Amino acid sequence: MNQEQTTGHLPRRPGRRPLVERTERETVGQTAVENPRMSCQNVGVFYDSKKAISNICLDIGRNEVIAMIGPSGCGKSTFLRCLNRMNDTIEGCLVTGQILMDGKNIYDSDVDVVPLRAQVGMVFQKPNPFPKSIYDNIAYGARIHGLVQNRDETDELVVGSLKRAGLWNEVKDRLEMPGTSLSGGQQQRLCIARAIAVNPEVILMDEPCSSLDPIATAIIEELIDELKQDYTIAIVTHSMQQASRISQRTAYFHQGDLIEIGPTDQIFLNPLHQLTEDYITGRFG
Amino acid sequence: MTTIHLLLTLLTLTLAGFFIGRSKAIAVCSAQGGPSTLHSRPIYYGILTALWCAVPALIVFLFWLIFQSTIITDLVVADLPDQIRSLPEARLNLVINDLRNIVAGNIVGGNISPAIQAAADHYKSLEMTGQAALSVIVTVMAMVAVAGVWLKITPALRARNHVEKVIEILLLGCSTLAVFTTIGIVLSVLYEAIRFFKIVPVHKFLFGLEWSPQMAIHAEQIGSSGAFGAVPVILGTMLIAGIAMCVAVPLGLMAAIYLSEYANRHFRNVAKPLLEILAGIPTVVYGFFAALVVAPAIRNTGDMLGFSVSSESALAAGLVMGIMIIPFVSSLSDDVINAVPQSLRDGALSLGSTRSETIIHVVLPAALPGIVGGVLLAVSRAIGETMIVVMAAGLSANLTANPFQAVTTVTVQIVTLLVGDQEFDSAKTLAAFALGLLLFVITLILNVVALMVVRKYREHYV
Ligand SMILES: Nc1ncnc2c1ncn2[C@@H]1O[C@H](COP(=O)(O)OP(=O)(O)O)[C@@H](O)[C@H]1O
Ligand SMILES: [Mg+2]
Repeated sequence: MNQEQTTGHLPRRPGRRPLVERTERETVGQTAVENPRMSCQNVGVFYDSKKAISNICLDIGRNEVIAMIGPSGCGKSTFLRCLNRMNDTIEGCLVTGQILMDGKNIYDSDVDVVPLRAQVGMVFQKPNPFPKSIYDNIAYGARIHGLVQNRDETDELVVGSLKRAGLWNEVKDRLEMPGTSLSGGQQQRLCIARAIAVNPEVILMDEPCSSLDPIATAIIEELIDELKQDYTIAIVTHSMQQASRISQRTAYFHQGDLIEIGPTDQIFLNPLHQLTEDYITGRFG
Repeated sequence: MTTIHLLLTLLTLTLAGFFIGRSKAIAVCSAQGGPSTLHSRPIYYGILTALWCAVPALIVFLFWLIFQSTIITDLVVADLPDQIRSLPEARLNLVINDLRNIVAGNIVGGNISPAIQAAADHYKSLEMTGQAALSVIVTVMAMVAVAGVWLKITPALRARNHVEKVIEILLLGCSTLAVFTTIGIVLSVLYEAIRFFKIVPVHKFLFGLEWSPQMAIHAEQIGSSGAFGAVPVILGTMLIAGIAMCVAVPLGLMAAIYLSEYANRHFRNVAKPLLEILAGIPTVVYGFFAALVVAPAIRNTGDMLGFSVSSESALAAGLVMGIMIIPFVSSLSDDVINAVPQSLRDGALSLGSTRSETIIHVVLPAALPGIVGGVLLAVSRAIGETMIVVMAAGLSANLTANPFQAVTTVTVQIVTLLVGDQEFDSAKTLAAFALGLLLFVITLILNVVALMVVRKYREHYV
């Protein structure tokens, strides 16, 4: 991607149509995709009756990388955590609306969160390896889900996951070391490997690079690019460059509303909403 | 001036010193162009003046209080008639005692000999003179100090640094006081224990299987040196502490897990303080609960099932002690479980672990060293507990591992050995110190282990 597209002054096409007013909060852009992996309908979240996000409609397509950007506190993490019901762990958090996966609302009372979370994995802002060995960090999820029966299968899974996360060469001769002994970037890749190991279909990433240096970030971005062959990835990022480098679609959130969604190029080159343009041109953020 | 008046005077002088010092500092600096020319803020000059005023005067005052009566007594005794001074030591002490009583106004008997009366008057007058001298000295010292500091206040005087130094010394004093007290206690116990080990050899004490110190009272009886084998007592301690831990660790740990992982915040806000109240109940209360409720209940149950259970049993004491210790385990475990970062739980949950899998595989291993530390501290508490055992487990030193029998513990034996009139050089009394030393060593080891575990935990997860 071309650096110029994303920094400061964007080239404006002459004669473009006027932007949508700042006061308008209806989502602009194409929220639906064909044959979505997950489909959110009127999703709202309340923390102790304080509204965090409301009325979000958004489809997440198969094998796409969808980026979510917006000023901090606008509800990106909150929305992301709805997708695998991690918000259930927060006391006083209420989710309204529907999120369909394979035609089933994941918030239905007969849905079990345990298999759901195995299906929709998550990588967090701060790397959070368990205080166990590198090997056990990866094997843990597979063991609790009974995906492996014996040591050989576990070995195979650990090696495979580490290879796919691009970490194998760095750790192959210290699998018994604690996961916490790795560098930040390696820890984050360990967490990605851990998520992959339970064989999810969707991977949610909440600012996975925000605590990493540029080199570690570049490695993870490369990894995300490879992973999209097999997985659907929804990633929250505060870096617009990162969004434009890795995602196909970008969603812009503002104060709990989904303001604009569209192909990444269009969002950064030619936003339709005044708020989106304000944000990507750095007028606030 | 009485002591109270003197102290009040000193307080007034100190306050005055503070204001004098401060205003001098303000005056000095405003003459030179604003507070910025001073090394420290004016308040520090005030505090420095006040400190110089109060501290030396108080030190003199304290020394006076400590040595006054000895010095005056010596002076008075020196002036007593020869025939009294040449009395044997013990008689002389009695005379001096009478003397002090007369001075204090508790007249003894009717027949006060004129010599004694004269001495008492002498004592009184010396005391008056001394008190007056003290008042003068202390007041003058305080005033001189204020004046001295006042003269020295210049913008260059580093008052803040001096004040900081004094505060540092004060804090150092407080911290060393605690350490020295501990050392003092250990040394005195050690000293008496060594005297005991001169009578009863160490190995007989540590490995002897019989504990019956009562026989030692009749020192003249041949072969009646008693039996001072600590093993039954130690085993009793271990048995009761073991039962207590069997109750406290599972209950406390599970309570902690429930509170920190499952309970909603309303329940937690109510239940946690309530649980901690358990630790605030006086152990005597637990003791009669154990003796009057639990022990009979156990005995009746035992009778029904066909066991013979003595009315005082290790089980009763251990159970109740376990309940007493629950808050130690639960509160400390709750703290360490809460200290496990939420991100670890999120990580496990996001992989599709259930709550209990998350707790068993991620939270508890991360918190385990801290929990072990808490448990070891609770063990020391169980070993040191006395009251419940006295009331519920009895006094007889049975060498048994049967929880339905009466046993005794180290602390209980110490109490029974020292209660009542005792000669302080019989083996029986000294044995208490040996037991105390043993107990101290055991709890010390446990505490050191607990600290090491906790420290390892810190290195690992911060
Ligand atoms: N656990 C929580 N409890 C209460 N309010 C929360 C919680 N998490 C987030 N919020 C609130 O929800 C809003 C959105 O937060 P978040 O989703 O974390 O924003 P972002 O990730 O975009 O920075 C913020 O106003 C935040 O204060
Ligand atoms: Mg966030």
